[in-house]
Amino acid sequence: MLLFLVIFDSVIADDVSLLMVLVDTNPFFWSTTNNALSFSKFLSHVLAFLNSTLLLNQLNQVVVIATGFNSCDYVYDSSSNSVAPNQRTERLLQKLEEFVIKDEQLSKEESADGIGSSLLSGSLSMALCYIQRVFRSGPLHPQPRILCLHGSPDGPQQYVAIMNAIFSAQRSMVPIDSCVIGAQHSAFLQQASYITGGVYLKPQQLDGLFQYLATVFATDLHSRNFLQLPKPVGVDFRASCFCHKNTIDMGYICSVCLSIFCKHHKKCSTCGSVFGQAQTNAPSTSKQKRKSPDT
Amino acid sequence: MPQVKIIAKNFMDMVASLPAMKLDKLYENAFICEAILRSLPPLAKKYVLQMLYIDVPVPAKSMEEWVVADGFSKHKVAIDRLIQLRVLTEIVDRKKETTYKLNSTFQINLQKHIVYGWCLTQIDYRDDLLIGYCSGVLPREPMPSNITVRLPSLEDLEAYATEQWECFLLHLISSTQAERTTNFSSSMMKVFQRGLLSQRDKEAPRLTESGFQFLLMDTNAQLWYIIREYITNSEERGVDSANLISFLLELSFHVTGEAYNSNTLTDFQRNAIKDLADLGLVKLQQGRKESWFIPTKLATNLSISLSDSSSRKQGFVVVETNFRIYAYSTSKLHCEILRLFSRIEYQLPNLIVGAITKESLYDAFENGITAEQIISFLQQNAHPRVAERIPSVPENVTDQIRLWESDLNRIEMTPAHLYDEFPSRDVFEAACDFAREYGGMLWDDSKQMRLVVKADILMQMREFLRSQKQ
Repeated sequence: MLLFLVIFDSVIADDVSLLMVLVDTNPFFWSTTNNALSFSKFLSHVLAFLNSTLLLNQLNQVVVIATGFNSCDYVYDSSSNSVAPNQRTERLLQKLEEFVIKDEQLSKEESADGIGSSLLSGSLSMALCYIQRVFRSGPLHPQPRILCLHGSPDGPQQYVAIMNAIFSAQRSMVPIDSCVIGAQHSAFLQQASYITGGVYLKPQQLDGLFQYLATVFATDLHSRNFLQLPKPVGVDFRASCFCHKNTIDMGYICSVCLSIFCKHHKKCSTCGSVFGQAQTNAPSTSKQKRKSPDT
Repeated sequence: MPQVKIIAKNFMDMVASLPAMKLDKLYENAFICEAILRSLPPLAKKYVLQMLYIDVPVPAKSMEEWVVADGFSKHKVAIDRLIQLRVLTEIVDRKKETTYKLNSTFQINLQKHIVYGWCLTQIDYRDDLLIGYCSGVLPREPMPSNITVRLPSLEDLEAYATEQWECFLLHLISSTQAERTTNFSSSMMKVFQRGLLSQRDKEAPRLTESGFQFLLMDTNAQLWYIIREYITNSEERGVDSANLISFLLELSFHVTGEAYNSNTLTDFQRNAIKDLADLGLVKLQQGRKESWFIPTKLATNLSISLSDSSSRKQGFVVVETNFRIYAYSTSKLHCEILRLFSRIEYQLPNLIVGAITKESLYDAFENGITAEQIISFLQQNAHPRVAERIPSVPENVTDQIRLWESDLNRIEMTPAHLYDEFPSRDVFEAACDFAREYGGMLWDDSKQMRLVVKADILMQMREFLRSQKQ
């Protein structure tokens, strides 16, 4: 008598991932001379990393979003069938070039001083939109995660938009990994990775970027439960004020909508609540302060 | 005693069982490296990637530091698998420290894939050696569309594959029913049928228990079973099994629906591809001058482990709470499968109507099909309309199927011995205690001093009673 024991994996293999890579293409950042890594070298590291991600599982999916100075756009999607696998690099580089030129044309109108920040909030939102679409595509979807390869300094004026994106990623359980290739730490990305349970890393040796990417950021969500990954050392939780977009340690908060201000205002610019005197005044005015908005 | 045979779950188990020499030779093919890497457990994949650019052996101790305490068992599984497939080599040096090193052929092939995998255009095509290594994405170039005419659409191709496969299956289980013959030699068919059919003299061949179970498996599992037989049998046909494995793996990297020139195949591959066409893995077409083959989904799914749910076909069965089955199918094979456990009442051009009855199920159980297999077949092939419902098969039906099965198992038979006419109550009680101690006590009646024990402990009982007599 023969008995068959066929062992079934009941669900889709658990390491199938959807990797959204946000690549910083801010020309002001890449043109700074003190960069240890040139843009072309950086790209070759990233391409090798994308290659290896696609190599690990045939169902893995990679989407690349370019984060420019004025705009952001999808430059590569491995799931679109229009690109033959052997023309991937060509297509990606071509799209990237088109994007950078378009981005440059947009910026001619206004002049920037110093290294401006790139539009991280925009590309984060695009990544999250894409992920939402994947979530709705059916019960069997790859596990998404976002990887920010970011070098430009934080733009405090994007604070609200970025925080909203972070919280929406947290809600949909999408980790945001950050790999900072600039000179300074990024407070935004530290918070993003901390809140969403992703990994934040600022590589010491930028010429070995691929090894960092392969060791830390290639880890699928399933394996993260078993591997030692870099732990957050210190997270800069400071917020930006809504009025002047400065990063502040202490400030005023609207008691109705939690907007942050660096100075005392008469009225909340976000929700329109009318405030009383600042707290340093006599406590008798506290009743006035709680006045609710008329709307 | 039932002989338990564990089917190698997928290609990779078979690859892993190859002798070391053959395995090392296989790794010279970049596709095999890729397929092997993809088949590894997630953690093992990660290790390979991590060690890809490390040229010195990595101490086992530092690898253990990569994992957290909870993951240690997974770590062990990953390392064992890597060593089994000879991807990692274990080196124990003089200080008794274990280090691991990646198989260098494997390492170089993957490095090339990662670096050149995307940018084929930048590589000089005149250099034959480079093409051999670097065409890491596609094993061979598809033919330009101006030569190939009448290429089937993807739907047509899938329909072709299904039809071809079902024809083969029908041929396999009852050669009289099939409308077309396959060009597998009858000896080849005999090999496939071994274990699935049993033939007594002058009787029509009957499906064996495992044959029934085979029919209820999903297509990928069935395909794998046949391919496995095909590979194990290859040595007898004078074909090197390693060559065959590497060709099949290579085939799974072709793009579904593209045409590939048959001239690019070697003689042995040309022979093999004819057999594969019979199974529906490829479609062969003949142009005015050239001939080409088109891989179907069955071929490209080969290297994926069995139960990739994305490859599952649409279901066709609706089961109602009144035990009636409606199967929207034109396939004879489906009808045959349903007949295994239900009573087919009537058949319309695109619909088979049947009922699950106690009698039909008893027949199925007698043939060695289990209730779980029937239920999982019904669930896996549920029509899309009912598949969304939870449960897709009505609960009262599944419960009843299980109950009817357990009806048959109400009696358990154990060989036993009955003792009576004990000389005294003391001896009887001592015997009872003895039997209990050995776990062989089945029943005792202390009034009439009778005792039933398992046949297993007969010898010990005899010894014991003899010692009691003295």
